[in-house]
Amino acid sequence: MKLAVLMSDYRNGIDMIDRLSADSLGIVFVGNGVYHAATKEGGKASSLLDKKANFYALTEDFETRGITSAGLDSRVKAVTYGDLVDVIFNDYEKVIWL
Amino acid sequence: MATTKLAFIVRSLPYKTEASRLALTHAIASQTVEIYLKDGDLVEASVSYVGDGVLNCMKGQQGMKHYGITTIEGHAKNSLLLDMRVLICKEDLDKFGLTEDNILMDAEDIGGETKANIVAYSEIQKEMETASHILVC
Repeated sequence: MKLAVLMSDYRNGIDMIDRLSADSLGIVFVGNGVYHAATKEGGKASSLLDKKANFYALTEDFETRGITSAGLDSRVKAVTYGDLVDVIFNDYEKVIWL
Repeated sequence: MATTKLAFIVRSLPYKTEASRLALTHAIASQTVEIYLKDGDLVEASVSYVGDGVLNCMKGQQGMKHYGITTIEGHAKNSLLLDMRVLICKEDLDKFGLTEDNILMDAEDIGGETKANIVAYSEIQKEMETASHILVC
């Protein structure tokens, strides 16, 4: 299956994503999930970014938190709400929210 | 004459829940309760940011632009404008690779004179020990 995961939390849900299996996986960082896309704890990027997946971060949510697109990890693509609708409808069959 | 010290300890990330915003608004509002107190009695609030809570202090928050909501940064500025004691945990800033350049340290642009203090966690521990009430948000 082609699965998009909207990741809305920074501390919870990683265990769930680790167990998910999909032919095509998209991880969309929204809400406080955007910290996965930009913060480096102890100098290390989020372990989620090591997964085989396409990564997106919602511009409205990371800018709300004082993060700029320049601060995103190079593996993560910034998307607006409009872009995100296209990503979900065009590239994925199923969507889950964590 | 007595001073009641309130130590608000912000440990939550901003926006997803109201916890950190409520800490700030309650700390700020605590300055208005003196009308209900006896003459000479005071309430003194401080706000300390620890753990993930230090991410509330990021500069350049754009909540108003995207969602029409006041930013945590704006509330934090107001707390400095009121000369509130603001402590930010150095160890946790270091953990996230943040420095004074990335975080809100003053409210000079709105006339504030008080600055935030980046301190070791031990200072925040002392703040809690000297407080009458500790409120972890």
